Amino acid sequence: MAVKSIVTYPDPILKAVCSPVSSIDQNVLQLVDDLVDTMHAGPGSVGVAAPQVGVSLRVCVIDVSKNRHGKENNHGLLLMINPEILEASGSAVMREGCMSVPDYTGDVERATNLTLRFSEPDGTVREFEASGFEAVAIQHEMDHLDGLLFLDRIASLKTGLFRRKSYK
Amino acid sequence: MNVCRKPNLAHFAVTIIGKDRTGIVADTSEVLYKLGCNVEDSSCTMLGGEFAMILIVSHEKPFSKKKLEAEFAEKNANNGLSAFIRSLKDDEICYQEPVGELCLISVYGSDKPGIVYRITRELADRGVSIMDLNTKLIGTLTDPVYVLVLEATLPQGLSVEDASGLLDNLKKELSVEISVRLITPVSL
Repeated sequence: MAVKSIVTYPDPILKAVCSPVSSIDQNVLQLVDDLVDTMHAGPGSVGVAAPQVGVSLRVCVIDVSKNRHGKENNHGLLLMINPEILEASGSAVMREGCMSVPDYTGDVERATNLTLRFSEPDGTVREFEASGFEAVAIQHEMDHLDGLLFLDRIASLKTGLFRRKSYK
Repeated sequence: MNVCRKPNLAHFAVTIIGKDRTGIVADTSEVLYKLGCNVEDSSCTMLGGEFAMILIVSHEKPFSKKKLEAEFAEKNANNGLSAFIRSLKDDEICYQEPVGELCLISVYGSDKPGIVYRITRELADRGVSIMDLNTKLIGTLTDPVYVLVLEATLPQGLSVEDASGLLDNLKKELSVEISVRLITPVSL
C-alpha cells in the first residue's frame, strides 16, 4: 500500500482513453489499494482514478461518505474496476475542482441519477444506483478513464446568466 | 500559475473599452503579443454596447509602461478604443487564496436607487469579500427590473445562513428578492 503522487495536466496520460482490466491480478489489486491510500491522503478528496496516479487502466475509487454533500446519501467506499454507466438521468450544476488541474475550478453539469455496473476486486460484478453528489463524483472519476477533464465539460462562464438573448 | 515565482517580470493592469465590434480581443492581444507581453489573467465582457477588457499582463524586465502606452495609443488612434495602463507593485501581483466558504448571492427586484450600494455595504461591514459581481437592468422601460449576482467569500465564523440573515432587513426595505447559496467548489 502506498500513497502515490498525483499526475497533473499537461501529462498526456490524463488525455488518454484507459484500457479495460482484462484480469484482476495482483497488480490490479495493488493499484486499487494505492488509489484508496492516495484518495485518503488528499485533503477532502472523494475519489481518484488510475490515470491520476500514472496507470492507464479503467479503475477508480470513490468515497463521498465523509463529504458534507455526500454523507447523507452514499454507498461508502466504492472500488470500481471497468465501470460502465448503464443509465443516466437528471441534471445539476456543481463547481468542480480536480487534483490533476490545480488552482482552477469550473461549473460542470452532471446527471444526478446513475445506474452502474462494475467489477469489484474479488471479481463480483455489481449493479447499483447512485444519486446526488455520489453520482457527480462517479462521473468525474469515470471521465478520467476516457481522457476527459472537467475542463472539457465547463458548462458556463460565471456571467452565463446574462447571456440570455437566444432561447432556441 | 503562481506568478509570484517570476521576479524578473514587470506587471501591468491594462483596461481597454470601446464600442463593440468584432476583433477587439484580436487587436488588443496582437499588440501585446508583438511586444512580447504575457496575458497572465484577464476578464472581458460586453457591458451595454461596449466591450470591456481587463488584463494583467507581464513582460520581462526591463520594460516600461510608456512602451505599452505608446503602442496602444498608436493602435487605438482611429479605432474607438480607449486604453488605461497601470504598473503593478510586487504585493499586487499575487492572488490571495480565499479561506472562507464561497457563496453566490442573487438579488433582483423593481429597479430603484441604492440596490448595489446597500447590499455591498452590508457585506463589506461584515468582512464578506466580493470575488465577482455582475449587474443588469432588465424588464421593460415602464417596469425596469434590476438583477445583481455576486460571488463572495464569507469570513470564518459566518455561515451561509448568517449571511442570508444579514440581508433579510434589506430584502424588506428595498423590496427585492435575495437568495444566498453555497457554491464552494468540490474537490474531486
